[in-house]
Amino acid sequence: MRRTGNLRFNYPESLFQFPVFLWVCLAASLTHGSSPQEGKPLTGPNDNVHFNRDIRPLISDRCFQCHGPDENARESDLRLDQRDLAKKQLQGSSLEEIKLWQRINSDDPDFMMPPPNSKLSLSSDEKQLIGKWLLADSPYEKHWSFLKPGKVPLPPVEHLDWCRNEIDRFVLQKLETLGVKPNRPASKERLIRRLTFDLLGLPPTDQEVDRFLADESPDAYEKLVDGLLAREGLGERLTSQWLDVARYSDSFGYQVDRGRHVWPWRDWVVKSFNSNLPYDQFIIHQLAGDMLPNATDQQILATAFNRLHPQKVEGGSVPEEFRVEYVADRNHTFATAFLGLTIECARCHDHKFDPITQSEYYQLFSYFNNIDEAGLYSYFTNSTPTPTLLMSSGDQKQKLALLESTIQAKETELAALEIDATAFSNWFTQKENIQPSAPIEYRNFEDFKGGANLSVTGPVGKGVQLSGDDAIALKTGNFTRNQPFSFGFWMNTADKKDRAVVFHRSRAWTDAASRGYQLLIEDGKLSFSLIHFWPGNAIRIRSRKEIPLKKWIHVSVTYDGSSRASGLELFLDGQALTSEVIRDHLYKNITGGGGNNIAIGERFRDRGFTDGKIDEFKVFDRELSGLEIENLVKTDSFQKAKKIHLADLPDRLKNKWQEFFQIHVSSTHLEIRKQLGVLRKQRSQQVDGIVEIMVMNDRKQRRPTYRLHRGSYQQPKEEVFPGIPAVFSSKQIPKNRLELARWLVGPENPLTSRVTVNRYWQMLFGDGLVRTPEDFGSQGQPPTHPELLDWIATDFADNNWNLKRLLKQLVMSATYQQDSILTPDLIERDPQNTWLARASSYRLPAEMLRDNALAISGLLSPRQGGGGAKPYDLALSFKPLGPDKGEGLYRRSVYTYWKRTGPSPVMMTLDAAKREICTVKRERTATPLQAFVLLNDPQFVEAARVLAEELIQKHPQDPITIAFRRSTSRYPDAKEKKILTTLLRTQKKYFSENLEAAKKFVSVGGRPFNSQLDPAAVAALATVIQTVMNFDECIMRR
Amino acid sequence: MNLNKNCTGFESPSELDRRQWLSRFGMGMGTTALAHLLQSESWGNTDSKRKLHHPAKAKRVIFLFQSGGPSQLDLFDYKSQLIKDNGKELPESIRKGQRLTGMSGNQSSLPLVGTPFQFSKVGQSGQQISEILPHLAQQADDLCIIKSLHTEAINHGPAVTHMQTGSQFPGRPSMGSWLNYGLGSENENMPSFVVMVTKNKGGQPLVSRLWGAGFLASRFQGVRFRADRDPVLYLNNPAGVSTKSRREMLNSLRSLHQHQLANSFDPAIEDRIAQYELAFRMQTSIPQTTNFSDEPEHVLKDYGPDVEKPGSFAANCLLARRLAERGVRFIQLYHPGWDQHGGLPGGIRGQCKETDQPSAALLKDLKQRGLLDDTLVIWGGEFGRTNYCQGKLGANFGRDHHPRCFSIWMAGGGVKPGLSYGQTDAYGYNVTDRGVHVHDLHATILHLLGIDHERLTYKHQGRWYRLTDVHGNVVKPVLA
Repeated sequence: MRRTGNLRFNYPESLFQFPVFLWVCLAASLTHGSSPQEGKPLTGPNDNVHFNRDIRPLISDRCFQCHGPDENARESDLRLDQRDLAKKQLQGSSLEEIKLWQRINSDDPDFMMPPPNSKLSLSSDEKQLIGKWLLADSPYEKHWSFLKPGKVPLPPVEHLDWCRNEIDRFVLQKLETLGVKPNRPASKERLIRRLTFDLLGLPPTDQEVDRFLADESPDAYEKLVDGLLAREGLGERLTSQWLDVARYSDSFGYQVDRGRHVWPWRDWVVKSFNSNLPYDQFIIHQLAGDMLPNATDQQILATAFNRLHPQKVEGGSVPEEFRVEYVADRNHTFATAFLGLTIECARCHDHKFDPITQSEYYQLFSYFNNIDEAGLYSYFTNSTPTPTLLMSSGDQKQKLALLESTIQAKETELAALEIDATAFSNWFTQKENIQPSAPIEYRNFEDFKGGANLSVTGPVGKGVQLSGDDAIALKTGNFTRNQPFSFGFWMNTADKKDRAVVFHRSRAWTDAASRGYQLLIEDGKLSFSLIHFWPGNAIRIRSRKEIPLKKWIHVSVTYDGSSRASGLELFLDGQALTSEVIRDHLYKNITGGGGNNIAIGERFRDRGFTDGKIDEFKVFDRELSGLEIENLVKTDSFQKAKKIHLADLPDRLKNKWQEFFQIHVSSTHLEIRKQLGVLRKQRSQQVDGIVEIMVMNDRKQRRPTYRLHRGSYQQPKEEVFPGIPAVFSSKQIPKNRLELARWLVGPENPLTSRVTVNRYWQMLFGDGLVRTPEDFGSQGQPPTHPELLDWIATDFADNNWNLKRLLKQLVMSATYQQDSILTPDLIERDPQNTWLARASSYRLPAEMLRDNALAISGLLSPRQGGGGAKPYDLALSFKPLGPDKGEGLYRRSVYTYWKRTGPSPVMMTLDAAKREICTVKRERTATPLQAFVLLNDPQFVEAARVLAEELIQKHPQDPITIAFRRSTSRYPDAKEKKILTTLLRTQKKYFSENLEAAKKFVSVGGRPFNSQLDPAAVAALATVIQTVMNFDECIMRR
Repeated sequence: MNLNKNCTGFESPSELDRRQWLSRFGMGMGTTALAHLLQSESWGNTDSKRKLHHPAKAKRVIFLFQSGGPSQLDLFDYKSQLIKDNGKELPESIRKGQRLTGMSGNQSSLPLVGTPFQFSKVGQSGQQISEILPHLAQQADDLCIIKSLHTEAINHGPAVTHMQTGSQFPGRPSMGSWLNYGLGSENENMPSFVVMVTKNKGGQPLVSRLWGAGFLASRFQGVRFRADRDPVLYLNNPAGVSTKSRREMLNSLRSLHQHQLANSFDPAIEDRIAQYELAFRMQTSIPQTTNFSDEPEHVLKDYGPDVEKPGSFAANCLLARRLAERGVRFIQLYHPGWDQHGGLPGGIRGQCKETDQPSAALLKDLKQRGLLDDTLVIWGGEFGRTNYCQGKLGANFGRDHHPRCFSIWMAGGGVKPGLSYGQTDAYGYNVTDRGVHVHDLHATILHLLGIDHERLTYKHQGRWYRLTDVHGNVVKPVLA
């Protein structure tokens, strides 16, 4: 019998025969890794061997490594996870004739199973179990969690009077079979304390306890439950738990770990819980709210859930490596949070234990692989990684919409505006004065003195040959996206470039998400872009044809200030190039980040224009007309064109002159252009002031997903398409994320409702009915009460996934309302409380310990939502942050700023999840380091002192009783009172004799000491209160 | 065990072995993997042969982690070819198209650069060590220098994470927490995994996950000692509270708990009593450790003048020895600042000045006290540096990250002293002989501590995990 299951040593059995008592302790302190065979496998309500309960976990753990679903790891072509494939090994006229039996009982190292080199073994109990199963003709079952929960009838029980609702029927039936009586009901004081913490994460107030004790009506408890479920604190309490699942963090993580603006998502979660958003919608909104028809901002905001994984900025990293990591994280979080499956094994190979192939992993992956995101966030700017949602207020939204429609109207007006023929001919007759636009900067490279860049013969005098590592800096170029601008220059490319930066205005490539604009050669083609954050907030066009090599060509680029790809144009030797639109979604500025002027031939950590030549580089702060562009190539063409009389103008040339007239001369056109410029500027100002948040938004064109060999981004194999694992035998394949989310909560899905109710069961009972909430697969533990789990899961889904109803159902059960008091008999027979013959007791979670201290001292701030609060201990974090002053010190812990690489050391010490990855279960430990926090952290010291100040003023006669009751929800008995009274006396003596010490002690914390009070008296009482606040009944949920 | 079935009260557990009670705390013996067996001795269920997987050579580890990637070419791996070919392009026959970082990967030219430092063969063993490590050179015969270590990661975050947890991506337990889980502490009044980071050093940021417990219980994570009023988070009493006052308070707390225990049966209450008592003892034992006033003058002098500055590498080295003496299992130091992308000659000289003398003094000190025999000391970073220059070649050149080969040294705790292990090519770019992967290093470290790296496992989310994942071979030739 492997009791702790922690370590896979082949221990002789006898070593595990240590006293039951220690086992209890181990079990209580261990949260992971317990074997499914815990307890006594051969005793129970039913002595038959159940495949799913008894055999599958065993052969999964010891045999599937080589004889399971993973084809590549399979030995001797033997597969034990399916009966028809294993048959030969399982049959025989007697046990001794069955091959499997022979193998597992052999001593021959070449024959025995598991083989010695696997370092696995079977205990004799386990072998016996397998023997029983083989004798029963080795029946198989599909793994329980992949079977849909069916309608379960309520089991009959003898003591129906004990049952308060359906839940109790299942619990009691098992207890009656075992001959165990449920525990007595908890006292009212204990019950209100337990319930208030469980639902609100806070202690009940004195008044609430009084009221409940005084209420003798039969529905007093139900009224209490209803009241608590209606409180706003519920949302905060439930959110605390959900943040672990969502791996929430206020910073990006990995190494550099900058702050990020994601708390509006956290506030969405709090609101959703409080408004009791049906849980199926809660899931759909977070996974795919962006894809709902007419999605609201709130629904889109919910999808930030998928973007809360750590993100990278470290220079020199390969972006694709990390982008793949983000998608994988989304995929794993999806599977753990909603399906209770550990799919990450299948990232590199077929799952060894569960029926999930590697291809199926990437089918799921593909649902999350379709947003326009970068592998790195921007080091040099603070852009929000795309895709994003503008967090605009209603007012801002309205203003912006109005601006957009005005701009659109103006653009339509401009396009439709005809040229005034008289004005044109009048102007044209005076054309002697007409000149092409002058550049704002012009480099002819005639007297270029290079270092690594060389002076060479150009098309006009001298040009320059670039090293690719040395930029030529210009003095201009810091254009905005509302502003038209153009460039023209000669270039000569020595070889076909996969990638080369010809010129740009930006600080860097991936290190700035390419903020600015840039002309590149990509696969031999010209590409021009304006970028806020590549790829999701940018416009880019690319020539369809490759540019000619080894000859001088003239290249021009124009931009009309529209922020649209259609406003960009590329020219080769004066002729417009046909190009394709690569991106057309620019909605924020292109300035900032540094690198304000144009640089030719090189960019930070990018590939330069090695051996490329450049000459006659001209920068224009306006959109050039075709005539002007031709004139850049043939510098006499403009003058020549001027010599022709209006009447003699061929159509082509007339159109060109009209274009020139329209862009640079026509007052009606210029007026509208000017207005457009103003409007676009207003729009930019408006939008630039609106903060963004990362959300989901699928690309129109699906990004192909490939199976990645060994999970490596560098080894894509065959393409895979959206789909869900075959084990679910789904009738329809969800086409996209939204359909995937709907499938999750649809009637076909066997897992989501079970996983959900199990997690809430865990929240209210200490452990789930499935003790491995993260793994409902064959390596996880089977449910302690399978029928009960199915009944609640079905009931939950049938009742519109009503979460508050579920919570009420759980806490209204007699099972929940039992006392937690232990008996030696029960602890020996059921150390892990899998029978539920008592309520569980455990130390309060980290957030509750701190919130409790704040609540009982009256320091707790009622403020909800907003940016992260920074309590004292963040100053001592590994990545110290200055603590807040005033209110920020006293907010509920759910709002504590979460810095991923150095989270609150107090929360860490008290076993909060690190939130690096999706976590559905916390461990509970007891270490001396926790005692340091509870005794010495200024947060707790201050709380005790502030309460002492209050009690000395309001209850000078008997402050101890009040303090005790506020900390434990009950009155102290005589002994307790005496212990504390004695302490108060000795402490008062000490502090009176050491008044300076008392003054120091009462000055701990940000809340000023009330100087009207006697420091020694307050210090002494505060010490007593600290004692009570460290007392078991204050910090344990019982 | 005799439990009263009538639940009229609780039989005091005090008749049980005290260690058994303490065992429930991570800080004490801990419910650690191997601890079941260690504990089982105390009530006579002994099978001491199975205490560890095999006899341990080392009882504890001091890992002097040099964060940023120290240049092996300027410290341990001497290459005359590079000096000869200084300024020439890195031959493609050597690079073999292998991936470079995004920092120098797009450079048009990759000029080779030789070390500007003199190397000499030192000690009986004739190890080649750079002139900028004069103190270490004197301990050369104690060192086992591995020149053929390699990793896949090319950037700091993944590479440091790999070195410390066996995986490039966050989420796995650190080496120290694996050992803590596997072996627990030798001293119940001290944490068994202590972390110290040199104070006020810039450089590549380190993150707390590097000493985190990943999916292991959080009590196995490293406890960071800081050069501060509180060496451990909130170790000291609040201002104005004396030891006597605190003792009285804890006595009352214990009385409350004993009274509660008399009325209800719950071992967790006993746990609570022990938890607070242990905390109280640690309030004494930790400051005793961090206070150097009992160190003789000559010892302080050996570690160099920085030893007077709390939080310096020198002070942390001395503290490491004091922790080792007190049975701390895994002592992890971090010294950042080795990331010389530019200005390498000056930069690395400065780094050596801060670390050379204290590292050498630590070895000497441990040896004098007979502690080096069972203490494994490891010095090294997350990867090496390129043989070519990042950016423009000049006197103030820099080197980019290089994962394909780098050098570390180990000493004491069962490794072969005076050994140079593994080889790189003439350009110091690729491993040519006896390559050691980071997983191999981990397997070797565990082996020295008496642990089979394939058998120290933990089940998480349906899978058994190890420090070495599914890789790793013990490097037998470096074992003494």
